[in-house]
Amino acid sequence: MEGVCVLGAGSTKYGKLADSIADITTQASVAAIKNAGIEPKEVGASYISNVFGVADKQVHIGPVLMSRLGIPDKPSLTIESACGSGSVSFREAYANIAAGFYDCLIATGVEKVTHTGTEWTTTYFAYCSDFFYEGQSGASFPGLFASMARAYLTEFGATEEDFAKVAVKNHDNGALNPKAHMQKRITVDDVMNSAVVASPLKLYDCCPFSDGASSVVLCSEKFAKEHGGDYVKVIGSGRGGSPAALQGRDHMTTIPSTKIASEAAYKMAGVTAKDIDFAEVHDCFTIAEVVDTEDLGFFDKGQGIQAVREERTRLNSDISINPSGGLKSKGHPIGATGIGQVVEMYDQLTGNAGRRSVKDAKLGMTHNFGATGASCAVHIFESA
Amino acid sequence: MSVEEQVIENARQGKLLTHKCADCRYLHLSTAYYCRQCGSEDFEDVLVDGKGTVATYTIITVAPAGFEKYTPYAFVIMKLDGVDLRISGFMEGIATPDDLPVGTPAKITGFDERGILIQRQ
Repeated sequence: MEGVCVLGAGSTKYGKLADSIADITTQASVAAIKNAGIEPKEVGASYISNVFGVADKQVHIGPVLMSRLGIPDKPSLTIESACGSGSVSFREAYANIAAGFYDCLIATGVEKVTHTGTEWTTTYFAYCSDFFYEGQSGASFPGLFASMARAYLTEFGATEEDFAKVAVKNHDNGALNPKAHMQKRITVDDVMNSAVVASPLKLYDCCPFSDGASSVVLCSEKFAKEHGGDYVKVIGSGRGGSPAALQGRDHMTTIPSTKIASEAAYKMAGVTAKDIDFAEVHDCFTIAEVVDTEDLGFFDKGQGIQAVREERTRLNSDISINPSGGLKSKGHPIGATGIGQVVEMYDQLTGNAGRRSVKDAKLGMTHNFGATGASCAVHIFESA
Repeated sequence: MSVEEQVIENARQGKLLTHKCADCRYLHLSTAYYCRQCGSEDFEDVLVDGKGTVATYTIITVAPAGFEKYTPYAFVIMKLDGVDLRISGFMEGIATPDDLPVGTPAKITGFDERGILIQRQ
């Protein structure tokens, strides 16, 4: 199997964007291509992650991107795996390089939904649930994670203020990220006093709906070495699944797909949770980050909340969780998120993360899931 | 009748149709076509009483389209009595967590445009 590297990365700002979905897809892709120092004609194919292209009147976006890049003859594939689309797209690109089908590819994720308004997005996002059992009964995504949060509060003696500290921490990190949707610090009181969306989760427990696009250039290690620019190595890749509906899971406070995907990635990389210096985890809601850090093996079950209280997940503490600001503060353009996490890996491991740099970072992890974790992919990156 | 129509018809009677694996006895909701534990597609239909206790829930104030007029309402995951199965559904008239402590006895009471309906017993 070929060694696979990330040779370049680029993103639009995340937030409420005016440009069209085709425009922002192209902007991020061009940024990644230029950052890698390659020409579009060296790109063998593209993997696009997107969920709601229909909202901006553009599905089958791959050929549009390739046409704009001057390589209309090159193939593309659009991949949907709800909020986990980006990491699945990255995995497919990774697998195609590893298998030797291509020397160089781009993986670009995009979402453009904010113009549709809160009701549309709340409604359509609910279509990512097991609709017959969940969406049909009025479950929203905040509602499904709120159900996990209620179970966690009951089982482990956590408080709503504890969850709020996750939001505060991620906003502190996001304030250092010029691409973040919400570049402002908040307090526990701000979270506690924000409007209830789905009890016990309040507005500031939830990530925002965001527009945005992110792109990375993947290549074989041979291509990267011959090329000569900065690159990072992909040393672990794993995917997993969970029962689609929460009701089908034995425990409401764990996400099985995260465990399956991370165990596969750790095994492939030959490392353990203790070796990871920083991680971009799927914190669509504050409860999710707590559950993620337990399921990924950073903390024992029920101890993730204590780690938050002790500030062990802050930037440059025991393990830097979501140095980018995470979905919570950087924003969550759902098709782009998983690729955006890889952009953060590239920036951190090549020394280009500015004020949010993780000191002496050698090993980073991305963790991105779809829906309530019905699908998940985990990747591990090493500085070259 | 499709498997989903069967679930709906039984929910209207306060019941839940389940699939018990004929080979390993693992119990599933009736939308399962293959056994999660052993892979068998041989099931016995077992009708269970739609009664249980609240395993977890949320009270939704920002609702998807069609549900605005019902807010606040609860989305409930209920653990069924006597079997290792959970079922989720819509519960009206829940405004605060004090209205619905985890563990509250509940039951399936029907099905309409709000999906499977669950009420406190």
